[in-house]
Amino acid sequence: LTEPNADRLDPAVAGLDVFTIPYGPVRSGIFEAIQFQIETGGEDIPRLQTRPFFKHRGMEQRFAGLRPERGVYVAERVAGIASVAYACAFSQAVERALDVAPPPRAERWRAVYAELERLACHLDVIAKQAETTALYVGQARFQILKEQIVRLRARLTGSRFARGVICPGGVRRDGALSLDELLGAIDAFERDLRRDRRLFTATASMTDRLVGSGRLPRSLIEQYSAVGPVARGSGVSTDARHERPYGDYQRLGLQVATRPEGDAMARVAVRFGELAESLRLLRQSIDQLRRQDGELCTPLPPPRSGSAFGWVEAPQGELLIWVELQRGMLRQVHIASPSLRNWALFDHAFPKDVLTDFAFIEHSFGLTAAGADR
Amino acid sequence: MLEWILRGLSQGRITTRYPDRPEAAPSGYRGQIELLDERAEGPGELAALCPTGAIAVDDAGRVSVDRGRCILCGACVQAAPERFAFEQRYETAARSRQALIVPPTPESQLEPLSQTLAEQARALGRSIHVRHIDCGSDGAEEWEIQALWNPYYDIQRLGFFLTAAPRHADVLLVTGPVTRALREPLERTWEVMPAPKALVAVGTDACSGGLVAEQGVDAVLPVDVYVPGSPPAPIAIMHALLLATGALAA
Repeated sequence: LTEPNADRLDPAVAGLDVFTIPYGPVRSGIFEAIQFQIETGGEDIPRLQTRPFFKHRGMEQRFAGLRPERGVYVAERVAGIASVAYACAFSQAVERALDVAPPPRAERWRAVYAELERLACHLDVIAKQAETTALYVGQARFQILKEQIVRLRARLTGSRFARGVICPGGVRRDGALSLDELLGAIDAFERDLRRDRRLFTATASMTDRLVGSGRLPRSLIEQYSAVGPVARGSGVSTDARHERPYGDYQRLGLQVATRPEGDAMARVAVRFGELAESLRLLRQSIDQLRRQDGELCTPLPPPRSGSAFGWVEAPQGELLIWVELQRGMLRQVHIASPSLRNWALFDHAFPKDVLTDFAFIEHSFGLTAAGADR
Repeated sequence: MLEWILRGLSQGRITTRYPDRPEAAPSGYRGQIELLDERAEGPGELAALCPTGAIAVDDAGRVSVDRGRCILCGACVQAAPERFAFEQRYETAARSRQALIVPPTPESQLEPLSQTLAEQARALGRSIHVRHIDCGSDGAEEWEIQALWNPYYDIQRLGFFLTAAPRHADVLLVTGPVTRALREPLERTWEVMPAPKALVAVGTDACSGGLVAEQGVDAVLPVDVYVPGSPPAPIAIMHALLLATGALAA
């Protein structure tokens, strides 16, 4: 029982001393279950196959027969670290299908939660980049920043992942903090972030590892229609908030951060750029919330049928959700997750890189297995 | 490097002193569902409020809540605030599945059978090695487990270490409801762990399947400690680890 199962491997690279490492689904450390079949002669990686779907839970089928108000709970659990993105994309799809407009105040709160989620996800990636390049002091600093954001969400919504606040039609309630408290927390966070960012980018032992590693040419990004920070790190300026603005982003305006180099460092730099942009958007939304009273949720109309797409820019990239409603109940839901699209590209991220680079190139993608496997 | 160190020193101590001092959850935190009046009877429709079937009403009209099934969505609190409320607490773990049900039943008073690790943990001293396996979580539980080793929680100060090898592990943290493809990896991981060992089901999905499956980890392997939550906060997982090793009484 405890021997590795060799017949499940399917090596394609032949030659002296070539062997296959089935890395996963049980991995060292606290990671999601996914398998990488690494074919190697010892150092370089001529062929890599990413094998997702160990975690397939049949999430799309779980929606069937639910009312949209309940469907959003399922959406929040497709990829837990991007709960807000999934809840927003799902809710927007339902709203389009039923021709309901959420009130502006609800859209502003959704933007606040979405940008907080982006901060938490990007900080997580940066902390893991520091960890995998053995800059443990940097890892600790960025974990502190991430925990600050997660705790802020808990104070604001009662849930560390801002679950249970977004619903089709709007949001369930206002944030539990006053806008001044929220702004104060963001100011304090930004001061800390600025100092740690300066130290991080000035630490050569760390940046040396990232520069030139895991390089993805622009042509490959276009060929695979990659999304999110992975695409933007290779000079492709794609961002759903900018290209197909939805909700509050129709009013906010966005500066899309891109880098041309296409290496792991470029993806980190894009994330740093997005952290600054998220903070700017947060301030703008909070300022608008101050001036605006009004409804938080538009009631859904009496049961009817319809279908529509909803889309958001999740922290991992553009997320699409399609819903079909039949007499007010969900009939079908389909999810095109950014993680699945970018995992396909991951197999090509090792043109000149070796086994020891594996961990930080993987983290530079910042993907979730749960989102890909659904 | 000097600058990094000075930066850290200027921060001061941020690490929690839990479990020596209690750690309060923020106001409004959705820790677990509380039945405001455990003896109040209710109509059968109450059960329909819950998307995961955590609320039950028996023939006599007695209402009960299975916290192991609850995903903390708040639908019941919103619809019937006179009966249900959120309790602002992190310590939600229990040593048996029955103990997660309120009001308590006669069975939930029984001491759980499996206490092997808790009894023998004294021999291991303050050196418990923890291994994690993802069996189909939504990914949020992994974040909360990782957070235990960040400077806010620093679980190493309590003698918990993360190990990459199941053969060195004393405690297995399992997330997710065990998908078909991950059942065998889970069984193989558990099998190679040396006794005494303990298994902790982390999150509502692992405790009962929650919203995403019909059953939890205990359909595959015996669970020593259940920690519900969607996902459970780092302090909740820390509490569960201390229960599993007998450092805290239930």
